[in-house]
Amino acid sequence: MLGAIFRDALKNLSSNLLRSGLTMLGVIIGVASVIAMMAIVEGGQVWLVSSIERLGTNLLFVWKKRLTIEEKRMFAGRNLKLRYDDALAIRDRFPELQVAPIIQIEGHVKAGERDYSGRITGTSPEFSPIRNFHPAEGRFLQQSDLQTWKRSAVLGKTIAEVLYGSKSAVGEQLKIGEHRFTVIGVMEPKGEVYGQDRDEMIFIPATTALRFFKGDDKIRSMVIHVPNRKQMEEVTHKLHQFLIQRHDGVDDIRVRNQGDFLGAVEQTIWTFRIVLGGVAIVALLVGGIGIMNIMLVTVTERTREIGLRKAIGATRQNILLQFLIESTTISVIGGCFGVILGIIAAYGFGDFVAQSMPGGGDWGAVIEPEAIAIAFVFAVSVGIGFGLFPAMKAAKLDPAEALRYQ
Amino acid sequence: MLITLRHIQKIYNTGEVEVKALNDLNIEIEQGEFVAIIGQSGSGKTTLLDILGCLSHPTSGDYWLDESHITTLPDSELTTIRNRQIGFIFQTFHLLPRKSALENVQLPLMYAGATRLQQQSRARELLTTVGLHDRVNHHSNQLSGGQQQRVAIARALANQPALLLADEPTGNLDSQSGSDILSIFEELHHQGQTIIMITHDPLIAQRANRRITLLDGRVLADEPTESPKEPMLQEN
Repeated sequence: MLGAIFRDALKNLSSNLLRSGLTMLGVIIGVASVIAMMAIVEGGQVWLVSSIERLGTNLLFVWKKRLTIEEKRMFAGRNLKLRYDDALAIRDRFPELQVAPIIQIEGHVKAGERDYSGRITGTSPEFSPIRNFHPAEGRFLQQSDLQTWKRSAVLGKTIAEVLYGSKSAVGEQLKIGEHRFTVIGVMEPKGEVYGQDRDEMIFIPATTALRFFKGDDKIRSMVIHVPNRKQMEEVTHKLHQFLIQRHDGVDDIRVRNQGDFLGAVEQTIWTFRIVLGGVAIVALLVGGIGIMNIMLVTVTERTREIGLRKAIGATRQNILLQFLIESTTISVIGGCFGVILGIIAAYGFGDFVAQSMPGGGDWGAVIEPEAIAIAFVFAVSVGIGFGLFPAMKAAKLDPAEALRYQ
Repeated sequence: MLITLRHIQKIYNTGEVEVKALNDLNIEIEQGEFVAIIGQSGSGKTTLLDILGCLSHPTSGDYWLDESHITTLPDSELTTIRNRQIGFIFQTFHLLPRKSALENVQLPLMYAGATRLQQQSRARELLTTVGLHDRVNHHSNQLSGGQQQRVAIARALANQPALLLADEPTGNLDSQSGSDILSIFEELHHQGQTIIMITHDPLIAQRANRRITLLDGRVLADEPTESPKEPMLQEN
């Protein structure tokens, strides 16, 4: 009997193709948006995680916490701020760690007729191995550059091209502000990493940056490489305690490892999942309401048929099943088309991002089989759920009244 | 006794007014009778049909159909009774559109739980007995009114019901087709089928062998039809 009911459902749906199609459209859009949204979020996660991992592995980041006015007043006179000394102290206390202090200054660079205004980074030789970022020509900073406050500069690829065109920059002179520097190296092209274009960086020795441009010994942050990944948590904690101690017991710094960033990303991704998933599910629910709407119309239109079927022996369950199978068929077929449309939309989005978003080239859509399964199961549940009320209405019809319904 | 109605009352509550559609109705019908129930509109014919057909319960009174005390049965069992014991024939045929004659006749067999093969062979057989063996795959909109009503008769007979219940079976037909349908009824009657036919037309009621006249929800007259049937055919 199920087979006969199912054939009837198909026949009824195909006898009014336009209406069935429009009803399905709600489900199609719902399912497609669930799949596309999930694929985009998953793709985003993969992209963000790989971006973070490209920062370098086994890294710790140390920077100054912003204190409230209250805290500033409370801790007045204590040894606060992150200083160059802190970097040196860490190096003495934890010799196994590679430490690169980061000082950032805004500067105007002039080489002959050409010039460039931007950010200049003061750091130490460790920066290069830590960040896996190496010179293509000449050399990176050396300890001796720092010890004697050498006015040496290492240029990012783009900067070198801006200032010197195609000719070699190594050995050339340039001026940063009023100070004359010698170019000692040009970095390999690296492109954008986590929103920062590595090819637009200029490196000078940390000590030189402090002495000529800052006039104090405050640094912006530190990047630290931990040789053993398993010790990350332990080292993070120890380092944090060590710095608190150096800062007269005030916790005014943050020490973060990649795991912390990944955790934060994971949290953000979940927020997106919930928000976008919610929107998609609302779309699917609206599709379900469309099914309910049309099924109610169908039940009314077919009141006499329901009356006749009941008169000749259809039970309530028979009628309930008949209409439930019809609404479920709509949602199953709609779900199938929705899956296809969702996959197309997801890949379409992937291409769109790759072309239009800077650095988004790797943000492809990632379609998990689970996402398809979830969307499909949800669509079918919606079909059953929203078909139930009209089907129950049909099943409950009084046969005598239904037979004479005009 | 196939049918026994005792003190049947049916009261419709339409807001303020109570309408007594049937008022203390007592009827007995034996196996094999061909009964016409006649009356003007508002006499309670349709209400009586609904109750006889187990489509609705009376407000009070008792109804026995072939040993079953219908008035005590729940709705779910009435469904089975309608499927197995009663064959309905309606003025407007009530065939399902978009279905062939064969599929229409299959329906009550399907609800009775027959296999598809059983349904088809039985339906084919029934359509042959009503003279539609060459129309089995026609859809209802491809059949004339008389042919549609014959499909409906085949459908009504599908589960060999104890009672054939016809509601103005010729009301939508021209006189020739109507007469043909009535001939089928007579044939079935000769084979021992119990038939109750509701009509407002005294000429059609003549074709039955017993006539029950309703007025205002009561039996006004209950008598055998006396006139011979052959002259009737000529009048038609």
